[in-house]
Formats: sequence, C-alpha cells, structure tokens
Amino acid sequence: MTTQQFLTSTWTWNSQVLIAAVAAFIAYIRAFGINHRIVYLLGGVGVFVLTLVSPLNTLAAGYLFSAHMLQHILLLLIVPALVLMSLPRRVSLGSRSWLIANPFVGWIGGVGAMWLWHARPLCNAAVSSQVVNALQIWSLLLLGAIFWRQVLAPREEERLSPPGAVLYLFSACVACSVLGILITFSPVSVCPIYAQAPADRLGILNLIQSSWGITPEKDQQIGGLLMWVPMCLVYLTAIIAQLARWFAHPVESAPVMDKAL
Amino acid sequence: MNGDTTIAGTVAHLLTPAERQHWKLAWLSTVDHKRIGILYMLTGLVFFVFGGIEALLIRLQLMVPNNTLLAPDTYNWMFTMHGTTMIFLVAMPVLFGIMNYILPLQIGARDMAFPRLNALGVWLVPFGGILLHFSFLAGGAPNVGWFAYTPLSEAPYSSQLGVDYWAISLLVLGIGSVSAGINFIVTVLTQRAPGMTLRRLPLFSWMVFINAFLIILALPILNAGLVMLLIDRLLGGRFFLPFGGGSAILWQHIFWAFGHPEVYIVAIPAFAILSEVIPVFSRKPIFGHEFVAASTVIIVFLSLLVWAHHMFTVGLGRAVDLFFVAASVLIAVPTGVKLFNWSATMVGGRVRFTTPMLFCVAALLQFLIGGLTGVSHAVAPLDWQTKNSYYLVAHFHNIFVGLIVFAILGAIYYWFPKMSGRMMSERLGKWTFWLMTIGFNLTFMIQHVLGLAGMPRRTFTYPDLPGWTWMNMVSTIGAFFMAAASVLFVWDLVISLFRGKPAGDNPWNAWTLEWATTSPPPHENFDALPPIHSRRPLWDYANPDRPDPVVPVGGAIDNFRPDKIKAGVITFIISEAGFFGVLILAYLFYNATSQSGPGAQQLDVLKTSIFSICLFASSFTIWRSEAGVRANNLGKMKAWLIATIALGGIFIVGQGLEYWTLFQSGVTVGLDLFATTFFTLTGFHGLHVFFGLLALLVVLGVALVSILKNGHFPALGAVGYYWHFVDVVWVFVFSIVYLWPLIR
Repeated sequence: MTTQQFLTSTWTWNSQVLIAAVAAFIAYIRAFGINHRIVYLLGGVGVFVLTLVSPLNTLAAGYLFSAHMLQHILLLLIVPALVLMSLPRRVSLGSRSWLIANPFVGWIGGVGAMWLWHARPLCNAAVSSQVVNALQIWSLLLLGAIFWRQVLAPREEERLSPPGAVLYLFSACVACSVLGILITFSPVSVCPIYAQAPADRLGILNLIQSSWGITPEKDQQIGGLLMWVPMCLVYLTAIIAQLARWFAHPVESAPVMDKAL
Repeated sequence: MNGDTTIAGTVAHLLTPAERQHWKLAWLSTVDHKRIGILYMLTGLVFFVFGGIEALLIRLQLMVPNNTLLAPDTYNWMFTMHGTTMIFLVAMPVLFGIMNYILPLQIGARDMAFPRLNALGVWLVPFGGILLHFSFLAGGAPNVGWFAYTPLSEAPYSSQLGVDYWAISLLVLGIGSVSAGINFIVTVLTQRAPGMTLRRLPLFSWMVFINAFLIILALPILNAGLVMLLIDRLLGGRFFLPFGGGSAILWQHIFWAFGHPEVYIVAIPAFAILSEVIPVFSRKPIFGHEFVAASTVIIVFLSLLVWAHHMFTVGLGRAVDLFFVAASVLIAVPTGVKLFNWSATMVGGRVRFTTPMLFCVAALLQFLIGGLTGVSHAVAPLDWQTKNSYYLVAHFHNIFVGLIVFAILGAIYYWFPKMSGRMMSERLGKWTFWLMTIGFNLTFMIQHVLGLAGMPRRTFTYPDLPGWTWMNMVSTIGAFFMAAASVLFVWDLVISLFRGKPAGDNPWNAWTLEWATTSPPPHENFDALPPIHSRRPLWDYANPDRPDPVVPVGGAIDNFRPDKIKAGVITFIISEAGFFGVLILAYLFYNATSQSGPGAQQLDVLKTSIFSICLFASSFTIWRSEAGVRANNLGKMKAWLIATIALGGIFIVGQGLEYWTLFQSGVTVGLDLFATTFFTLTGFHGLHVFFGLLALLVVLGVALVSILKNGHFPALGAVGYYWHFVDVVWVFVFSIVYLWPLIR
C-alpha cells in the first residue's frame, strides 16, 4: 500500500461521531440561533469529526502511539476550546458551582486527563476496548471544557484575570511537558500495546515502518515530543491571547493633571 | 549637589553624618537597596578584571599558531574560568546590581521587599567567587568548560578538586540568584507606589519582574544538577557515569534546561535597559509598549522549551531535532518584535547620540547580528557543521558582549548620575565607546569567518593553515582594544565620581520615577511622589496640557498587592518545586527499568507508611495551629504547633532508622542507580523537613515569649505554607518510590 492509497482508503465512517456532530449543531442553533460565532463551532466539530473518522484514527487504533497522542491533544485542547469560543458572550457556565468555578479543579482536570490516560493499563485499555475508548474520548472533551472554562468562559467575569490565566496556562504547560519529557526519553514503553507487533489487519505496517521509517521507539519519541512541544505551543497561543486581553483594555481619556505635587 | 570636588567632599555625600565615624560598617552591614546595588556592581567589576585577564591570556595564546605561551591544561583553566566568571560573577551580579538600584526607585518604593535577604544575596557573590578562585590554590582550577560536561567532569576523569570548587561555588551563587529573583517578584507585587498599577510599570520594571520568574524557575534546575554532580564526585554516586549505568547525556539536558533560560536571564535585563534608554534619547515614548511587554513574556515561555537545540550534535535523533528546530526558530519572532519596536522608536524621534544612547544603539545592531547567527544555529544541519567552531564563539559573544556588555555600559553611563550625583565624562565616554565598538567587532566579526573556515573551538592552539593566522592576529588585536576601552571606562568612573559635573535630579529629562528624587537619592528614596496615571509620570507632570493617555485600572488585578511574607514563601516554593521536579524526573528516568541489585524490594513499605501518615497528619495539626491564631487563642496555637513538631520529628527519626537499616545491609549511595537516586531524593526531602522543623521551633520560641495581637502571626502562616509544600512533595516521593513498585 502506498501513502496515497492509505490516505484515501482508511477513513472509518463512525455513525456515533456523525450523530454527535449533527446533534451539536442542532442544539446550538436551537439555543442561540445562527450567529457569526457558529464558525467556531464548525471548526470545533470539524476537528472532532476529522480526528475520529480520518486515517489518523486508523493509525491510533493499534498502530501508532504518536497518532493516538495527536488525537488526545486535539480532543482535549482544540475541540473544547473552539466549542467554548462559539458560545455567545451572555452565556453563563455555572459560576456558582464551586466545582466548576474553581481554577484548581480546572487545572487538575486538564492536566490530570493527560497524566491519567497515559498510565500503562489505561493507555492499553483505551486501544483494546471500544468502551474504554469511548470513555476516553468523552472524558477528554469534558475535562478539556472544564480546563478551558477558566480562560475562555463566554462571560468576562467568569474568567481568570489575564495574569492569573497566564500562570494557569504556563503551569499546565510545565506539567504536560514533564510528562512529554518522560515519554520521549523513557527507556521502556509507555503504552506497550503499540510496541508489540500489531495484528496488521489493514496491511499497513510495512508502509509505516519501512516507507515512513517510524519504528516503535521512534513512535513513542514522537508521541512524547508532540506532548512536549506543540502542545505547549497551544498553551502559548492562549497566553498570547491573554496578554492581548490584558494590554488591549480601552484607554481612558486623560484627566487634567493635578498641578500641586 | 554642591560641586565640592575634593575626595572628602565626595565621600561625605555618600554617607550620612552619623555614618562617617564608621563608614566601613555603613557599607558592609547595609541593607539599603541602593548600596547593595552598588556592592553588586563593584563585585562584578572586580571579577570582570579577572575574567578579562583570562580572556586576554586566551587571545595571546591564540595570536599565533602552535603557540606555547599557555600549556594545554592552563588554557583549559583559562577558558573554563573565563566563561564561568563572566556569566556568574560579572553579567549576573552587575545586572542584579542595576536592577536592585533602579527597580525600587522606578516603582516608587522605599526599598526592596526583603532588605536582609537582599544583603544575603549580594554577599553570596564574593563568597561564591572566592570559593571558585580558591581552586587555583587547591591543586588547579576547573578545566572542563563552563558547561562541565560529564563524564569528563566526573571524579575518574577530573580527579582534582577544581570541579568540586566549581560546583559548590555555582551552588552558592545559584542560591543567591534565587533569593534575588524572589525579592524582585515580591518587590514589584507588594512595594509599588499608590497608582503604580501592574500595567503602569515602566518597561524596565516590567521586564525585571518577568525575568525574575525565569530566575526562580531556571536556577533550581542547575542547582539540582550540581548536587547530583557533587553526589557523584564526593559520595560515589552514579548519576552521570556511563559505566555505572548512569547517563552522561542527562547532565547535558539538565545543564541546558538551565543554560538556555540563563542566556535570557542576562539578555532580558539588557532588553530592559535598551527599552529605557532608547526612548529617552529619541524623545519619544517607546513604539508599541504593549508589544515589547508581551513579547518578553513569550520569550520567557519559549526559552524554557527549547534547550535541546544546544544538543543537536549529541545525536538525539531526527524526531527530537525536528521538533526543536521548529520551536527554536519561533524565538526569533518575539525578539524580532522587540528589535522592530526599538528601531521604530528612533524613527522620527529627535535622536541625541549621548554615550548611553551610542552604547544602546550599538547593542541593538550587534544583537541583530548575534540573533541572526542564532537562528542559523537553530537549523540542525547547519548547527552540526558550525557548533564546535569559532562561528559559535562569535555568535554567543555577539549576545554576551555585543548586546549585554554594551547594554550594561549604556546603563551605567545612563544611571551613574543618579547613583553618584555626578555626570560621567562625555568625551571619555565617546572614546570608550569607539574603542569598545572597534575592539569588539575586530575580535568577534572575524571569528565568524574563522569558524566557517573550520577552526575548532575549545582547543589550545591551531596549525598554521592559510588565512587562520592573520585572522587570529586581528582577533587578538581587537581584544586589546577592548581592554583599553575597559581601562578607560574605569578611569572615567573614578574621575567622574570625584570631578564630574553635578548632575541634578534629572539630567537626561527622563520620565520615570527614579528621576523624581535627588541624585543620589536619600536613604528613604522619596520625599513625595508625583501622581501616577501612566507609564511616564514625570512627562505627565512636566506637560500637564498634553499628558500621556491614562493607563486604566481594570479590576482588582491591577492593584494586586498580596501579603509580603506569603508572596515570598510562595515564590520560594515555586522555585523549590523546580528543584524537586528535577530530582523526581531523574529518579523516574533511572528507575523506569527495575534495577538488578538490592533495591526497591528492600524498602519496608509498611513502616514507612506509618511515618508518612505522621507527616501527612502534621499538615492537619499546623492548620489547626493557624486556626488557633485566627481565634486569638495562643494556647491552642502552641499546643497544635508542638504536635506538628512532634509528628515531623517522628517522621525524621523514622527515615533515619530506615537509612540505618539500609546501611546495615550494605545499601549505600554508591551501590547502584537505585541507591543513588533513592538517597538523593529522600535525603533532600528529609533535609527540607529538618529545616522546616527548625523554622517551626523558631516560631514556637517566638510564640512562647510573645502576645498575640488581633489574630495575626504572619511567621506561622509562612512556615505553614512551606510545611504543606514539604508534605506534598512527600506525597509524590512516597507514591513514586514506595507505592509504584508495588503496582507495576
């Protein structure tokens, strides 16, 4: 199989994913009508669908740990962020609930999702069991939403202050980098199910290992690096947005200066 | 100033009348941020002479091919000491001195948040410096480069004491730097004048503030690496020794995880100086203040992420290289933003080329070249070819000298009038500038070519190849121009201190608050402050009809002023978390595969669980003790405090017993990797518990002799945070060391 054949023939039509996508649109339009922010929803749902039906999903299902990691990042960081950004500014996301409003909970949710799902038994189970896999996907989306709520809640007063948000995002980046570093340089397999020769049901193993040159060791390295570098760049993008929010505060007109010192 | 040009007159106005009787003590025991700043700078100047002489010896040795002026080993001493001295004993102390002097003045504060801690920081510099140089008397200076790559720096290959002195002195200096970083952060957070909101901070203060976070995050990484190296060398540990199963590459990771941010720790203050000087002498506010401020945060963030580009030649593999090429190239964006903003500030301004401005403009241009060669090093294939050549030497000297030293000189010409009350000589200043600029470019521009021609760095001599000789000769001549400039600069400093024109309060017509007081400022800094509505309060005050737009106050965060002691402890904890983070990562890395020798199986999990429960319980008891304070119940507070000390004591005794049992069965630090990592991690945690117990005993002692007022006992709150932190660290250590082997 060539790379081109691979890219065209390994789409998996997953009805649950498509139903969830359509349901999200219907729910959004019923609640908020069609407005310009629906573009973000389009992006978020688009990424969600592509993540789970494209060849990426095929690779993540037993072949490549790094593909699984990319899915993980997209579902945890990109999809929930875009969905939150699609909500109109008036929507409140339960600021009175202690559990949702507490930034520590958000931080632990976002970072914990990364650490927990890379514990060896859970990581393996997410590949071998359909149920655990579905659980993983939905938990990533939910925990991602709880994490991003602190920064991207539609209402200004429900967000962290910009400097607080910078610290929140920075520390999340550090916590994920540490795991990324461990995975990159670990001498043992983090998710052994990917390291074993998989049952090559699609006949693409030769393509991956020979044509692409991705051995299981290199695969884990790329997975760790994805978590270490590009993931931090996602946080960095959010930090830049927070700095813009901090400095772009409207400038008041100048009052007459007090002449007496 | 009164224009008194006698030495006595000059000395007199540096001291208060009461201090003239005991002037030595007035400086040695000072806790005033201005004097501490000057002490920092003078210490840096002394070591600059040392580092400069070493540089000249290196250049003399390399002046002609096959030279025998310095023996190979002596050359290695020189380049190790030159690098270490210039970074840790010159660049950092001088910049810390400038920041120490200017930051409190610029934010309208009376002093730093912790003046005594500040004094500790400054005195650790000569202490560390003397330790480092004492190695010359103790059998030879370190000769392994300022990066001390393992295994060369390990005991079997460097058996003399030089490396030990190097590591211990850097540890001392690192602790001092962290204390200064904590002080900068807490000063900005808690000591700002009324009206000086976080968004109204002038760029210099903003960058010092942001940079301080980098200091408290990066230095602990080095400190952790240094203690690991020392454990290897002195206690027979195995961290970085390949034949003991250790990883020599891990040292490089740790060193550069610190080393790359370190470049920015000294570069950001230089950026801060440029951002202050260029607008003043362009008579324009900085172009795009917000972009310069925000790009600083982005640089700090990225600098912590890209250290692996120092290690392309190690052979980390294509995947790793690729990611770090991409991330490293990104740093060019926020630094480029800064360069454009400084340039745009000058465009259309009424530029005055005074000495400080000349130095800053030259710094900008030379940094542009250093930055571009830096981007070229981010490209792995080019890096493989040039990394170990003089091309790299030229690159980083463009940063360290071309940017940082030039910015420092600019800053001293700029703020000397404020510090001394006298102007420096413009005529001597221009001579210094041109000698320095010509010397610098003669020395280092040609080295780009030398490097591309293939001359390797870190070697004591070279063969007589075509072109190499004359280029090296040019480089050496340039170095002597720089030496002449340095001598002239020091002469200018001395002569201006005694004979300089009186400066007045604001000789440059600048706009920030340090110019709103006398020169030199009185002990308490200000009599009164002008109102602060923008980033240029003195401009607003002088031009009431066309002030800067008011920087609005938006929400509580602009006026954020946490409790001083708690802010100090929390920043300290952040820094300690970095230290433990490195030790924990090293433990995980080396114990990912089970060790063959006696190891984790020998630990008595049950017994340790009981001691651990005692430690965790002490978090509860100290919380109750604080509740006692809030309830204004001294008896309750003391009772719970004694319970906390008892529980912590049980834990320490328990850990001691465990160590004893292990020693009895022959498990010592040097046995295998498990033992090395186990004793390092639990030992440092135990040491923290021990210091925590001492602090608790002090608090108890104070509580025994004092009366509570209004439910307020800040010391207990501070120690309480620290104690909780120590417990949280143990949660991680206990899970990783004791519980993890049971489940995997």
